[in-house]
Amino acid sequence: MAKQERSGGSILQFSPFQSFVDEGFWHRLSSLKLNKFGIDDSPIAITGFYAPCSHSQVSNHLTLLSESLPCDESEQSSVPAISLGNRNRCSVPGILYNTNTLEAYHALDKKSLLKEEAKKIWEDIHTGKAVEDSAVLLRFLLISFADLKKWSFHYWFAFPALVFDPPVTVVELKPASQWFTSEEADSVSVACNGWRNSSLTAGVPFFLVCIASNSHATIRHLKDWEACQGDGRKQVLFGFYDPCHLPNNPGWPLRNFLALICSRWNLKTVHFLCYRENRGFADLGVSLVGEAVITIPQGWRDLQCVPNAVGWELNKGRHISRVINLAKSMDPAMLAISAADLNLKLMRWRAWPSLNLDELSSTKCLLLGAGTLGCQVARMLMAWGVRKITLLDNGRVAMSNPLRQSLYTLDNCLNGGDFKAMAAVKSLKQIFPAVEAEGVVMAIPMPGHPVSSQEEESVLEDCRRLHELVESHDAVFLLTDTRESRWLPALLCANANKITITAALGFDSFLVMRHGSGPLNSSNDVKAESEIALSGDMDSLALADSGGERLGCYFCNDVVAPTDSTANRTLDQQCTVTRPGLAPIASSLAAELFVDILHHPNGIFAGVIADSTNSGGGDQPLGILPHQIRGSLHQFSQMTLVGHASESCTACSSTVITEYRKKGKEFLLPAINHPTYLEDLTGLTELMKSASSFKLDCNNETDDDDDDDDDYVEL
Amino acid sequence: MPHCTNLFFVLCCKVHSNHHEVHYYDFHIVYSASYRVPVLYFRGYDSDGLPLQLNEIEKDLPACSAKVLLESKWTFITQEEHPYFNRPWYKLHPCGTSEWMKLLFLDEAVLAESKVAIELHLVSWFSVVGQVIGLRVPIEMVNGRIN
Repeated sequence: MAKQERSGGSILQFSPFQSFVDEGFWHRLSSLKLNKFGIDDSPIAITGFYAPCSHSQVSNHLTLLSESLPCDESEQSSVPAISLGNRNRCSVPGILYNTNTLEAYHALDKKSLLKEEAKKIWEDIHTGKAVEDSAVLLRFLLISFADLKKWSFHYWFAFPALVFDPPVTVVELKPASQWFTSEEADSVSVACNGWRNSSLTAGVPFFLVCIASNSHATIRHLKDWEACQGDGRKQVLFGFYDPCHLPNNPGWPLRNFLALICSRWNLKTVHFLCYRENRGFADLGVSLVGEAVITIPQGWRDLQCVPNAVGWELNKGRHISRVINLAKSMDPAMLAISAADLNLKLMRWRAWPSLNLDELSSTKCLLLGAGTLGCQVARMLMAWGVRKITLLDNGRVAMSNPLRQSLYTLDNCLNGGDFKAMAAVKSLKQIFPAVEAEGVVMAIPMPGHPVSSQEEESVLEDCRRLHELVESHDAVFLLTDTRESRWLPALLCANANKITITAALGFDSFLVMRHGSGPLNSSNDVKAESEIALSGDMDSLALADSGGERLGCYFCNDVVAPTDSTANRTLDQQCTVTRPGLAPIASSLAAELFVDILHHPNGIFAGVIADSTNSGGGDQPLGILPHQIRGSLHQFSQMTLVGHASESCTACSSTVITEYRKKGKEFLLPAINHPTYLEDLTGLTELMKSASSFKLDCNNETDDDDDDDDDYVEL
Repeated sequence: MPHCTNLFFVLCCKVHSNHHEVHYYDFHIVYSASYRVPVLYFRGYDSDGLPLQLNEIEKDLPACSAKVLLESKWTFITQEEHPYFNRPWYKLHPCGTSEWMKLLFLDEAVLAESKVAIELHLVSWFSVVGQVIGLRVPIEMVNGRIN
């Protein structure tokens, strides 16, 4: 705006009020809209807060906080009980129009809304209310649209200011310290600090500064104006809390203040004090004093003749609405992600600098079994930041399950029971919405559970599906409840060379182990494999584990092939009845072992660090990387063991894997249907024959009198 | 706002970041009853009121503070609900605080002057923690007390 020379000086230019909305305000509004207002879009009385400028380089704002909105307890009234302000928060009344749609927001008649608020100010001036409760001069307007699905908020403030026509001019404007004598300045400071420190007056933004002829200053309420006239008053200034910091401009509140002064007390020359502070005390170097000259506009005596008003806030200089998106701080799902990430990072900063969170969050884990072990492993993996989890189980949630299977509740058991895999996925998402969990309802084909010729097709289909699941994941957890159900997965994992962790439970003992690497290179190299295999070149076998031999899998110590362990058994032998504490212990160890493998430089090929003096040193930040952990609750003991791969293993030996790759279903079907096929194939039959020809007196798992034990304890 | 007996100190500041954008910061020092040490809560936001993410806040820190944040064992940031506002704020995790506070107070003479121990405690605490957020304790604050 160009300055014009007029009698009395240049046009007084006011610095516009700036708004600031604390995120808590939107949070509160969202909650009120959802829970209380619903579709009702009638205007809401709100309270804004501001304080005098507190720093010479920064203006203060009109701030909205969550307290700006009415509280839940009280009735929705047209005028909120404005809380008695304190020195940092002077309360001013405002009104909020929050629409139900974006279209309605843009369609609001801004002109008439502003006029309506200006009219309220005008009336308050004329009725004298503005003298009693001067904060009403700063009445403001806010229009908004809260998009509660996207957590974005469109809003626009207006600070209605009555327009003077002709405009107010300023004769002089200078720092207060230059206007007053030093005696006066000291006294004014003291008086202002007193006003600001008293809880009765701290929230009163407009006041009179009366300076007596002896330079003593007092601060008075506006309503004491008449009392301040006459005798001994050297000068009376109109003071107000000025949020603006600029040295050449007063803040916005002065506009309506001048309107009040001229129409109430008919003054044409007004001395005003823009009160500003520094570090909590009056700062008369930053505060301004000025002399304004007013030409009282025609028609201002008439209450009915409401002057024009301006005041829509500019957005970075443009006359447009503002919008912010608060999803990151308000969307609970996003807050959960951010909190989880930070928590894991805490671990990295504190104890484990090389913790690779990116690897954890991108590793795809396949959990076979969604029972006591599956539920618990899934939870632990999520706690470690694993985000991609697939659960496979063909069962339904039974009434006894929720107690021990931590992802299920009673609701999952009703109406025949939900499918475990699906219920587990749903539960995981309720715990942590950002998890990418999938459920697969499928039975795992098992040796020793023969299938009829009608079922062959679908069983082969299941095998194929399982094969693909193993191929498409990075780590597989064998968490089923029978030994034979682990056979095909173990084979497929050895075939695909995937990180494999087995957890198995006895009544009061458990096994957690990591399978060694597969015997051959990845199945992508099948063609090269068969060529090399023909030449009988031993070097063609896959990388040995560091330390030489491959570590074994779950079946490497078996000298019989897995058979049906569930038929003809009593209930407590059929579904393993275990001490409840066992599954969580084993599951936790399985998850921790997995994380260690991921961080070992050799991954699946990692050998076992047997050197006990090397605890936690070097490149193993969390300690040793055992092959097998066997624990017993009976003695509260735990030990780590090593078992190397057996060339006669029914699941991971090169014989079996090669046969699987070459023959596919012609291998699988006999393995499933024929009890001794695997043993013949791997030479176990031979081994047993040769073993029985010696009289051995060793503690052997295949001792006949341990038959019951062997089937009961599935380790 | 509920009566805050444990809210020691409130500090606001403004930072000019690049692109002529202004960032505002609030710092609260709150006493943690469970860790029994002061804890620094903070948050940043831009002029529209949009809260700043941690990576944006880190850009506002002076270079040496950012270094301290990365390397120090004593200071790690988590996000938690502010104890009074129930909105997510960032905080410097207090789990290491009592350990390093003991190091600062090894001098028994200091402990003996119990009447100024509380003020010294906060100032000393802040002299470590403040480095992380780029705020320094003016030397006068410490000298006056000791003498």
